[in-house]
Amino acid sequence: MLSYLLRRLAFMVPTILGITLMVFMLLALAPGGIGAGLAVSGGQMSDTSKVAQMQAYLEDRYGLNDPVIVQYVRWLGRISPVKFGERDLRTPSGERVSPPRAIEDPPLARAFPLPAVPEVVDAPPQGEQLTLEFKKLQREAEGTRREYIGSVRQFRDALADWARAQGPETASRLDAKGSARVSDFEGVSFDPASAGYAKLAEAAATARTKWIAARTAQARAMAAFRAGPYPKSGIPLVPGLVSLDTPDLGVAFSKNRPVADLILTALPVTLLINLIAFPISYLIAVPTGVLASVRRGGWFDVASGFLFLGLYSVPTVLAGVFAIGFLANKQYLGWFPVSGLHDSAAASMTFLPFTDAAGEWHRGYLVDTLWHVALPVLCLVYASFAVLSKQTRASMLDNFNADYVRTAKAKGVPRKDVVLRHVFRNSLLPLITMFVGIFPAMLAGSVVIERIFTVPGMGSLILEAIDLRDREIILANTFMVACVNLLALLLADILYAAADPRVSFNRA
Amino acid sequence: MQNRFGIKDFLFLVVLLATLGSVWLSMVQKTRMELAQADMKAKLDGIEQQLAQLGRKVESGVALAPGVGAAAAGAADDSWARPGVRIERWSAPRAATDPTKVPGFAIGGEFTELFEAQPAKLVPYISSDVYSTRVLDRVCEGLGSFDPKTLKMEGALADGWQIDPDGLWIRAHIHPRARFSDGQPVTAEDVRWTNLDFIANPLIEAERARSTQDNLKDVKVIDERTVEFVFKEPLFTNILVAFGNPVLPKHFFSRFEPSQINQATGLIMGSGQFRIERLPSGPEDLSNQWTPGQDVVLVRNEQYWAEKPSLDRLRFRTVKDDLARLVAYRNGEGSMMLPTAPQFNKVLRDEPDFEKTSYALKWTNMRCGYSFIAWQCGPRNGKPTPFADKRVRRAMTHLLDRERMIRDVWDGIGIVAKGPVNPESPGSDPVVQPLAFDPEKAKALLAEAGWQDRNGDGVLEDGKGDPFEFEYTYATGGEISERLARFVKDSYAKAGIVVKTRPLDWSRYQEILKLRDFDAITMGWGANAPESDPRQIWHSESIKEGGDNFTQWSNKDCDALIEKGRRTMDEAERMQVWRQFEAVIAEDQPYTFVRVAPWLRFVKRDFGNVNTYKTGLQPEEFFRIMSANPGT
Repeated sequence: MLSYLLRRLAFMVPTILGITLMVFMLLALAPGGIGAGLAVSGGQMSDTSKVAQMQAYLEDRYGLNDPVIVQYVRWLGRISPVKFGERDLRTPSGERVSPPRAIEDPPLARAFPLPAVPEVVDAPPQGEQLTLEFKKLQREAEGTRREYIGSVRQFRDALADWARAQGPETASRLDAKGSARVSDFEGVSFDPASAGYAKLAEAAATARTKWIAARTAQARAMAAFRAGPYPKSGIPLVPGLVSLDTPDLGVAFSKNRPVADLILTALPVTLLINLIAFPISYLIAVPTGVLASVRRGGWFDVASGFLFLGLYSVPTVLAGVFAIGFLANKQYLGWFPVSGLHDSAAASMTFLPFTDAAGEWHRGYLVDTLWHVALPVLCLVYASFAVLSKQTRASMLDNFNADYVRTAKAKGVPRKDVVLRHVFRNSLLPLITMFVGIFPAMLAGSVVIERIFTVPGMGSLILEAIDLRDREIILANTFMVACVNLLALLLADILYAAADPRVSFNRA
Repeated sequence: MQNRFGIKDFLFLVVLLATLGSVWLSMVQKTRMELAQADMKAKLDGIEQQLAQLGRKVESGVALAPGVGAAAAGAADDSWARPGVRIERWSAPRAATDPTKVPGFAIGGEFTELFEAQPAKLVPYISSDVYSTRVLDRVCEGLGSFDPKTLKMEGALADGWQIDPDGLWIRAHIHPRARFSDGQPVTAEDVRWTNLDFIANPLIEAERARSTQDNLKDVKVIDERTVEFVFKEPLFTNILVAFGNPVLPKHFFSRFEPSQINQATGLIMGSGQFRIERLPSGPEDLSNQWTPGQDVVLVRNEQYWAEKPSLDRLRFRTVKDDLARLVAYRNGEGSMMLPTAPQFNKVLRDEPDFEKTSYALKWTNMRCGYSFIAWQCGPRNGKPTPFADKRVRRAMTHLLDRERMIRDVWDGIGIVAKGPVNPESPGSDPVVQPLAFDPEKAKALLAEAGWQDRNGDGVLEDGKGDPFEFEYTYATGGEISERLARFVKDSYAKAGIVVKTRPLDWSRYQEILKLRDFDAITMGWGANAPESDPRQIWHSESIKEGGDNFTQWSNKDCDALIEKGRRTMDEAERMQVWRQFEAVIAEDQPYTFVRVAPWLRFVKRDFGNVNTYKTGLQPEEFFRIMSANPGT
């Protein structure tokens, strides 16, 4: 059993890698690419060079200018609990501080030589002062880095202008968008007498000045970082090389918030609705299936089958619209609220309902919550009855015809016991398979229902993320759902073994 | 076999789960009540403090009516100003329409606005969506604001300012009474800190606001209440940078680390008429803040330094689905909503009683953008398009019956757009009218440009016999854009022009625009101020580097006007330049301007003083009408 478990768990790792890699690649290949949402939302800008610079800054910030595979490996490094290299620091309030990022050399170092970088790293101050100094240096490093990135971007534009001025042969090195990829200009000789050279040289010089500033600021911030303004995060395994730390799901581009926070606010909402919905669908569907199979062909069987299949055929969107238009609309029935999870006065409610001295009924927080989730839950469950009850019914009927049932009947076991003990218990197996499917569904939430009823759950979160191509949320979600799905499948296999003595992993 | 999982175990499990669930819910509720208590305590503290201040004032024997004596004394004091430059003076902000003069006036009540989408976060300068702006506008104030009736920039926090005639500096004096919602005074240092240590701080993710600051050289604190902005170049946008940006309390925001501010969801404090209900007092209290998914609740800022609003609370609730929003509004879960155009028409047509309980408002204001079809005036993939010729572009506009288009596509809601300047802005010239629908004139113009039906097949050809054919690019995912595409295709087919439609996902738009890879593309531009810098879209410099002049239209006159307008500090004079600019664009038609979308709102008649302004609506002026039998 144990070796089986270990083997299954080990197989999960490549599966998850495969799933995340595929999603990552799909995102990268999607029209617009990763972070297309960033570009779309950046509407009002006053100057064209500023647009380009802001783009360059954002690309640098989220590492979007690296090859896709590098970005993927970096993402894996973040979610992996085993970390390599320098350990992060953690502020007293629990935030992770990464080492200041290295500064790349400016492009075309051969044609435009790099100046020497002055080695001015004075020892960082100690004690109280260090934290303040580190904060200042961090800010300086980020500011100079941003200016440097902007200047490199301007250099590339100058390069494109220069190439165009040199005539079609040089201009053909530009890419389809008419901008210069620096690697395509590596071997080109730059004639100081050529048209537009002065501008290019000036842009190169600016980039180099900014480069020195950025390098110096980065080095100083690094020195302060190494001096340890905050305690180190995680547990070292091999000092300085390998350490253990909590996985970091990253920061969502579109919302600028840690993905873990977003999931932690959305997940309880989805869980609440699903935890109410699933028991309801099981409590109604399974007994109906059992009854239908006992009186096979009777009026109950036909009526329940008809009703459930009818419900199954109603699209959720339509049901949601009807629920709002009739059940929630005060022009018709107006029994339920339209949106939200709580009343606006929920904060001042008691938990349980009570009747006050004046005889007036107060519904309280619990009833208020149930009242608010009633319509979403209704829309979530009505379609699930058909599959579950039909499945139960079919599997019950299979067992009714089995030999052991005939034997039980023959030896005079009461009918009730035959149905509940023999047949029903043995019909549970297919239901187990369906049951484990619940877990990933619980995490994923329902996109349609959450939208119609404005439920801020996982479905809305992922839908928005897909719209804005927010890689971090999509990946974190895929990762989570994939993990839970695989674990649920494993659970199903274990439950089989527990429920059916014919299944055993020990001999494997 | 006997210890198998049976019905009893199943029931037991259900009961167990239900118990655990209720325990969890009760814990949630307990925290909520604690929060409510904390809030109550904060409110009491505020009132206590105010009482103490008032007591001290009474004891010190100053005149309690601040009007006459204090204002007169303040007016005489010009020691803060630079000599020899005109001072513009402002009194403390007051309601554009005095609510106390409106019958039924009362204090108190809650106003609920229904949002179509959730604000992602509420942090000044870091939030970027329209919904957070609507909340932030109620909580934060800048040195100046647009007058709702005239759209002139007038003082809000500032009681006077001087603008350098050469446009290189602006000096402003903050009103002596101005204070933040925690009672601390608004000082010049707060203004300096907001600009130089908040927006310009590279660790704070206010990239969007930062990019508007490029022209800002320095912000100097002259004395406690006087601040001077110094600029690199004289541009009219300097005025917006200096006065438009909300002033943040340094003492509050500097308690937090930049990373905490970046990741906060409801860190918002200012000197406005309302304040947010839940606000963390410091870094250790960050869990006490608004997070997306909840209603945003603003309460009256009892510390407000000028006329306080009459409503107790403003609530912003999100209902994403269009139908659900209308039902929620009808059910009384909202006091104001934005109906879709079909909803607006249908409700007014089918329900004669609707206007008895609700205001149905429709008006254009400075925040109305316009939609357009942009013609590729420059080369596409190295080849010129037919639209390089101004006559062809004018003909294209003449061929579109935009009145009918608005009727057919937008249910008759909207007005025909005539140019890039908002029709409510003083920079728009009433003399300039949209080009008329005139197929005959269009035919003549096309013939002049060489496009005629030479072989009698009903399609226009040029001299070489190539048919007039172009690609029309539009964004997928909306019934409106599909209808619009069909309308455009039909209109041009009648004139012998073949339109190939090209639906495109919105996320690819940016790329297509940058590559200039289109013949005609439809889009809209938004607006949030009476004037914006036209350089971004219309100057020939903005053709370079994938800038926003994606039609690659260049016009020397237009460039000169833009340069002139940007450097004109005098408002009236500048508006004249924008009028000329509008005329040049109307003549050249680089876009066919389609429609200005008016604002639509339903507001319950339970509220009084609901007026439409050129700036939009002013919910801080509303009040809840006292009725004899409440709840109706």
